[in-house]
Amino acid sequence: MLASQNKKVSLILIGLGSVFLFMSYKLPKYTLVPVDADAVPIFLGYLLIFLSIILFFTKDQETEVEDGEEQVTKPKKGLDKNTKMLLVFGGIVLFYIVLLEILGFLITTAIFIFITTLLLGYKKHKTNIIVALAVPVGFYYLFNFVLKISLPKGILPF
Amino acid sequence: MGVMDGILEGAKVALSLQGIAFVLMGVLLGTIIGMLPGLGPITAIGVMIPISYGMDPAMALVMMAGVYYGAIFGGSTSSILLNAPGVAGTVATAFDGYPMAQQGKAGKALAIAAISSFFGGTVGVVLLMLFAPLLATVAVSFGSPEYFALMLLALTAIASLSEGSTIKALISGTLGFMVAMIGIDGQTGTSRFTFGSSSLLSGIDFLVIALGIYALAEVFKLIVDRNKDDGPQRTIGSIKLSKEDLKEMSGPASRQSIVGFLIGVLPGAGATIASFIAYITEKKIAKNPEEFGKGSIKGLTAPETANNAATSGAFVPLLSLGIPGSGTTAVLLGAFMVMGIQPGPLLFTEQPNIFWGIIISMYIGNIFLLILNLPLIPYISKILNIPRPMLISLVTVFCLIGVYGISFNTFDLYLLLAFGIIGLLLRLVSFPAAPFILAFILGGMIEQSLRKSLTISNGSFMIFLERPITLAFLIITVLSLTIPALLSLRKKGKTA
Repeated sequence: MLASQNKKVSLILIGLGSVFLFMSYKLPKYTLVPVDADAVPIFLGYLLIFLSIILFFTKDQETEVEDGEEQVTKPKKGLDKNTKMLLVFGGIVLFYIVLLEILGFLITTAIFIFITTLLLGYKKHKTNIIVALAVPVGFYYLFNFVLKISLPKGILPF
Repeated sequence: MGVMDGILEGAKVALSLQGIAFVLMGVLLGTIIGMLPGLGPITAIGVMIPISYGMDPAMALVMMAGVYYGAIFGGSTSSILLNAPGVAGTVATAFDGYPMAQQGKAGKALAIAAISSFFGGTVGVVLLMLFAPLLATVAVSFGSPEYFALMLLALTAIASLSEGSTIKALISGTLGFMVAMIGIDGQTGTSRFTFGSSSLLSGIDFLVIALGIYALAEVFKLIVDRNKDDGPQRTIGSIKLSKEDLKEMSGPASRQSIVGFLIGVLPGAGATIASFIAYITEKKIAKNPEEFGKGSIKGLTAPETANNAATSGAFVPLLSLGIPGSGTTAVLLGAFMVMGIQPGPLLFTEQPNIFWGIIISMYIGNIFLLILNLPLIPYISKILNIPRPMLISLVTVFCLIGVYGISFNTFDLYLLLAFGIIGLLLRLVSFPAAPFILAFILGGMIEQSLRKSLTISNGSFMIFLERPITLAFLIITVLSLTIPALLSLRKKGKTA
């Protein structure tokens, strides 16, 4: 019965624990310290595997009860749509990070706020544009001039 | 320096014009962020950290503390008006607060919540003033073994008290501990799990974890829930309370403020557990328990008093021992460290202005909160009208700037995104995130105190059994792990 969520998660965690253990054992050894750098990580690796094995044999219901039935009966289609939206949103965040130091904080943030707000279904474009311009300018002023933390200026001269 | 001198030093901080302004700012921002469904005190504090760079540490921490208890205060507004608790600690508030609002008595419900919160919060601060120095005086004699045992206790308590399944909480904590191992090991200089990246040598910044696992993951969850209808905004109505109402409130308020505080002091138990326990006990001892859940004044007073008292209680171990008992106080501890302040017994003796400044500021903060939440609430609650898409975009930007502002390194932003995804995945498979962050903060400290202890004892583990306080903490740790397990086994045996 690999279909149960706990079993799947447990197998992934056992895999993670094994990799962690493998890396911990490869850490260099020092003989003079009572507790070496690898001691706690090795313990944690075994602990994770041990706990994951218990999880493997734990029935799913125990944890899903308090989430309510709502989540279990969620239509599959809605979830897919959400997954897509999450992926797109994550992609835009990734783009933001890549462009932040190239285009600068002001431009990247203004575009980011406008696009994501639009994408998530906000229809009042005028309000969106005002917020998308005012927020980055406000933050830029606060950080660069009040807090003296300089955010990247990118291609703009100020 | 005596306690009285310390209190005077603290009063100078808290009662200065600057101090009062920062308390007001903290509680106002806390109220607003706590009110917004989905965003809790951890996000609120995380977002505030970058803004407080360069500020005087005492002022920054006074503000940060205000954000914390302000968020718990503000969380009740959305519980009552929308049945959508802004923070977990106000879930029980919705049980009777929302039915009241549906009956057209939203104003009354908000007034009861505000007064109960004020009462709980203030009684909590009075008790905090008595307890914290007492504990700090005892804790001055603590060495590494005591701290090791105490931190272990803090860690296990959250696992056994965490919402949902214990095993998932334990796994979440283990994962957080593992992440804490990343970076150069202080004792041997070995770089651990850095994959050859120089950006990982100093470990992962706690803000990346707090904003990723909490704030960004909350944003992702908001995206999933963005189409959920919040229901129509109701008119608030009169906020006047009658003498009978106040009389009905007095019982639960006086009982639950003390119970709530004591629960808050315990590691692992915080506002959420306190509010539920308060609700359940008041229902049990009530003359007419059938009224609970239908708009009972007692049912609203109890959790609102308890959650705010618990918030003050949570400051006891944080300030006097330097040990967080919950995810939120773990983030607060992180905020202290960012400011270069190590809370604990030494804070009490060496920086009384900060120790007492925070405590005294909480009196003022609670008064501000009462004002903000009584006459001004109809205006402040308009913030709930911010459209979800806008909220999601703005909070994401807050998180990104927050992290960039400390490291000036886009590598940390990628990490932030990665931890946001991890946080979302944890949520999707219903693993609690609080143990993760608590273990992450405590992880490095536990390892350090373990190694220091064993260095003192030349590698002998007897050091943990020979010292009475250490032994006592370890016994409580074992009990706190085994008793819940035994109880659940007994329950299962009975039902089988």
